[in-house]
Amino acid sequence: MSFTQSLPVAFAIGAAFGCTLERAGLGDAKKLAGQFYLQDFTVLKVMFSAIVTAMLGAFWLGRLGLIDLAAIYVPETFLAPQIAGGLIFGVGFVLAGLCPGTSCVAAASGRGDGLATVGGLLVGVLLTGLAMPLIGGFYASTARGPFTLPQLTGAPYGVVVAAIVLIALAVFAGVERLERRA
Amino acid sequence: MSLTRNLGLAALILGAASPFAGSPFAAPSADQVDRLSKEIIQGDDHVSALQLAAWIRARRPGLRVIDVRSPQEFADFSLPGAKNIPLDRLSRARFAQGDTVVLYSEGGAHAGQAWMLLRMMGVANVYFIAGGLADWRDEVIAPNLPADASPQIVRAFEPVAELSAYFGGTPQVGPAGSPPTRMTPSHAPAIGAAADLVALRRRGC
Repeated sequence: MSFTQSLPVAFAIGAAFGCTLERAGLGDAKKLAGQFYLQDFTVLKVMFSAIVTAMLGAFWLGRLGLIDLAAIYVPETFLAPQIAGGLIFGVGFVLAGLCPGTSCVAAASGRGDGLATVGGLLVGVLLTGLAMPLIGGFYASTARGPFTLPQLTGAPYGVVVAAIVLIALAVFAGVERLERRA
Repeated sequence: MSLTRNLGLAALILGAASPFAGSPFAAPSADQVDRLSKEIIQGDDHVSALQLAAWIRARRPGLRVIDVRSPQEFADFSLPGAKNIPLDRLSRARFAQGDTVVLYSEGGAHAGQAWMLLRMMGVANVYFIAGGLADWRDEVIAPNLPADASPQIVRAFEPVAELSAYFGGTPQVGPAGSPPTRMTPSHAPAIGAAADLVALRRRGC
């Protein structure tokens, strides 16, 4: 599939993703910040559901021969820079109450904080690009390639899938109980 | 039962069945195997050490020279510009679409197996050095011109000698082990012709 052919597909997937985030209420900064204060577990439930759905979908569609799993792009792991990036991301997330996806959703629904976060995000990307001569070494350090959980644990793919589903269901049940108590 | 519970139950069933479902990765198709065997028969799977040397010297865009030996062996000696990706880390390697990947190992077996693994992973433009580092030594570092070579062969040897000198080698004239002889460059024929010459005296493939 060429770049021009894949663009409409990317647009459709992006629109569906944004729509789902909006329907889940994730365009609301208070709801997102609530996750960090352990008052609202919507983010955890939505994101973990998405991970489990995508994982089960990829596994079983691959197993049934409907998709070629080897052709799916797996982002590369850069351990130290991604830990640092995750921490910065987390601080920005709780500060703005939005993450990149949800800030676009908030901006699209006309919220001022969403527009400001998207603006900040673009400035951050620009500054990171400009600082690349300084941070380039760290940026590319501790490279592990496209590293997956079956590679890390040495367990078969199916066992990892089962373990994550069990963890997710246990977490869902746990937070439901927490929310009911609150 | 609520929708949430139904979805949770469906995830549980699919998740619990996963360990018994086998690998989700498709086995190579007969078509794929046929294509790869054709590449092997046509010799599209390997390049000579001399060709690799010419590519390195010409700074061929997108050239990735990959040493599939252990990090210790790589630390002891490696080809110019090579990157170490041992066999057990090959699955995590990433190559861009326009890359020309050349694999080498001590002999040729591991590099050949790495070629197969990368081709199965869908990496295009992959080659390996059939005789490994021994080929690099014989063809690039210490190429040998027979003492009784015809003028045509002597002319064909000139670019090989130039390439060898570029990589710090010592081209030799006469029986192996004789004192190194410096070749005088003149009208250099293409590397392909020189590679044919080297192929004449290669010890098998």
